[in-house]
Amino acid sequence: MATSTSTARIALLLAGSLTLLAAQGAAAAEPRSPEQVHTALRILASVYADMESKLPDQQFDRLPHENMEFHEGAGAMRDAMQDEPADYQAKVLAALDKAVNASQNVADTSKTHDTAKVRAALDALAADMRALNGLFPEELRAEPGSVPAPQHKRPPPSH
Amino acid sequence: MTRRDLLEGALTAPFGLAALAALGAAGKRPEVSLTIATDGDLLAFKPTELTCPAGVLVHLTFFHTGKYITQEHDWVLTVPGAADAVAQAALAAGEAGDYLPHADKRVLAATKMCNKGEHVSVDFIAPAPGDYPFICTYPGHAAFMHGILHVTPL
Repeated sequence: MATSTSTARIALLLAGSLTLLAAQGAAAAEPRSPEQVHTALRILASVYADMESKLPDQQFDRLPHENMEFHEGAGAMRDAMQDEPADYQAKVLAALDKAVNASQNVADTSKTHDTAKVRAALDALAADMRALNGLFPEELRAEPGSVPAPQHKRPPPSH
Repeated sequence: MTRRDLLEGALTAPFGLAALAALGAAGKRPEVSLTIATDGDLLAFKPTELTCPAGVLVHLTFFHTGKYITQEHDWVLTVPGAADAVAQAALAAGEAGDYLPHADKRVLAATKMCNKGEHVSVDFIAPAPGDYPFICTYPGHAAFMHGILHVTPL
């Protein structure tokens, strides 16, 4: 009896793992233009970094400008999706639109000049960007705010 | 005083009178062409390091290779250790001042701001041997867009 229960549990675990793997595989499908997708995600991550850098000095009035850049940067992802199958394209563009709306919310919230509210709006944008990233294989993703530092042979005199 | 006057003045001083005299005796000042670009729409220069000999006339061309984002960039060379301070001074100069502290002696050379698809150039005399930081002075960009000009002995 104990043996059959254990076997059933193992079978359930295996089935669950396989389902999860299959779901992950479907969610993170390989796009037809991986380089374009990677560049688009890096552009959005870079704009996010620029947005976030405005917070320590409370440069709230710059955020609507960064939001405009985010909207423009989203064009890179739209271009990258042009040759994708309709259902995949729709899924990505829906996630992209969600991130664009979250970026707009950062700009709208910036008018309050309330650091905590802007921080929360930025965090919400980062979450939507991570959801967008999650639709692609790991090697193509770009963490919001990640901008690789220039690789100098020697450290710069300042920075 | 024009931007070029400012740069000529700032750059000639560190080079040294003896070296200038030697160049004068030999004839024409050696010239070097350098090219740098943005890394597409990313907030980065490509390459991030440039090299030239001291005292040469540098023709630098900066290409803004962005395609999507309407954002301005420039290329500004500063004295060692002054990049952060120049970036702050640029912010204070504001849009009216083209985000550049024009009379600031810490600025050794600077292009105008340019937008995606455009390129701008600047000529300057390479300063004394050393490592000189360069940045984009558009607000917020210097934290990401920076590099080093290695000036080697002539």
